[in-house]
Amino acid sequence: MTVPGNTRAHAHRIKNNGTAVVEMEHLKKSFGNNHVLRDMNLSIYKGENLVVLGKSGTGKSVLIKCIVGLVDPDEGKLVILGQDIAELKEKELVEIRKKIGFLFQSSALFDSMTVRENLEFPLRRQVHGVTKEEMDSRVKEALQNVGLSEAIDIMPSELSGGMRKRLGLARTLILKPEIMLYDEPTTGLDPITSKEISSLILKVQKIYNTSSIIITHDIECAKRTANRIVIIKDGICVAEGSYTDLEKSKDAWIRSFFE
Amino acid sequence: MNNLMIMEKTNLQRPQNHKQGAEIPSEKDLEIAADSVFDKFFLEVTALTIFTLRFFKEILKPPYEFNELMKQSFLIGYRSLSLIGITGFIIGLVLTIQSRPIMVKFGAVSMLPAMVAVSIVREIGPVITALIFAGKVGSGIGAELASMNVTEQIDAMQVSGTNPFKYLVVTRVLAATLMLPLLAVFADVLGLFGSFAGVNLKGDVSSYLYFSQVIQSLEFKDLFPAVIKTFFFGFAVGLIGCYKGYYSNSGTEGVGKAANSAVVFASLMVFIIDMIAVQITSLLQY
Repeated sequence: MTVPGNTRAHAHRIKNNGTAVVEMEHLKKSFGNNHVLRDMNLSIYKGENLVVLGKSGTGKSVLIKCIVGLVDPDEGKLVILGQDIAELKEKELVEIRKKIGFLFQSSALFDSMTVRENLEFPLRRQVHGVTKEEMDSRVKEALQNVGLSEAIDIMPSELSGGMRKRLGLARTLILKPEIMLYDEPTTGLDPITSKEISSLILKVQKIYNTSSIIITHDIECAKRTANRIVIIKDGICVAEGSYTDLEKSKDAWIRSFFE
Repeated sequence: MNNLMIMEKTNLQRPQNHKQGAEIPSEKDLEIAADSVFDKFFLEVTALTIFTLRFFKEILKPPYEFNELMKQSFLIGYRSLSLIGITGFIIGLVLTIQSRPIMVKFGAVSMLPAMVAVSIVREIGPVITALIFAGKVGSGIGAELASMNVTEQIDAMQVSGTNPFKYLVVTRVLAATLMLPLLAVFADVLGLFGSFAGVNLKGDVSSYLYFSQVIQSLEFKDLFPAVIKTFFFGFAVGLIGCYKGYYSNSGTEGVGKAANSAVVFASLMVFIIDMIAVQITSLLQY
């Protein structure tokens, strides 16, 4: 497997040659008096892994929930795959959302369904006229890609934390999304499993040619997966660059993330 | 108080997308917003009304979740049969044994089957079934949806291209509405068998004689209002269970609270609906 790498050159190449798949301008979101996103300006380019770092409560998760449509921004412009979200009708929004995968922090597996049923659920809901054979083949392919082929007929409660993450990823990948959003993919996992999940993120980027936003506090995960890193503070993007750029930043607060 | 005012008062901005159209404050928000018990009650009733209106809006919109409705009807109906059946039988038996001495005292022991039948069919069967249903199904729905909320399963459902309100709430409320009347009739029938057993504990009445008396004593005006009100009981139990679960607070504490308040609130609603139903029945001279 070729790892895209997290070099400054690679990030530069993607940024200059790639099309922006997600663009946000002056995005704002508040919950009562809590102004979570104050003025967010960010672009994600085709094929890149963008890691978002920041302290807890700075709006990282809200940011990706705005992209997937779980939270509506109060103000600002959000363009996904070239379409301004504010101008789309509900049906068009659903079509856009089909192209976005979301790996939840808790994996959010449907615990009343088996592994197979968990994977079949989005297929049944979003792909019309899919045959049983095709569904079976896509389920097996998705499980194989995350290394969980043997777990097809068991319940999610029988899976370990790492396996649950991988299954959550497989459920997302079954629809072959163009954009992947990872909400703290390695939280609560041991270092070895975290490394496996990080490798899986890179594998997904390569196989499915996805553009990804990875929210994480795990600096090892960031180092392994990021083509570019942004740091958020109080709902504003305060720093951007490659891992090596930011690691050597003159700002002590930014450097503190990498220590 | 309109929807926007509730949001302002509870200091809650436009909530997550699957909750749109029913911008309902959670219990925690209600506690913050409510200046008094009256305020809290008023806000809760308003929020439940908005939730109910959304139910009627979503029920008419395609796509229709028939498969999930069938599954929920099976889970809610079939899996409650044994509990409802045993309870109905025991109620019939106990009511007969308890009533017998007083009937003997007034020399009306031959009226015992008719008295018990009318009591069970008109009132005790539907109400007891609804209360057990609230305890088993209402709390189950509340806990299940609250747990799905806590573990982000409802969000995951929305991301998977499914309207979670339609898939989770509409199907469960409909299943509860349709299944409770069937369960109540089942409880009535087993209650009558329980009563037959009770009559025969201290007497010797043939099944033919017993059930002839029962059938003669029951009229359409006994059956019809009793069955109709069970639809409302089922609707209330399903709706309150879903409302409490769908908008529960985060955390495991929220799951317990949702299950508990679903039972309490649904049981209270059963009595309120029963009281209204009895008044309407009296007015219509049933």
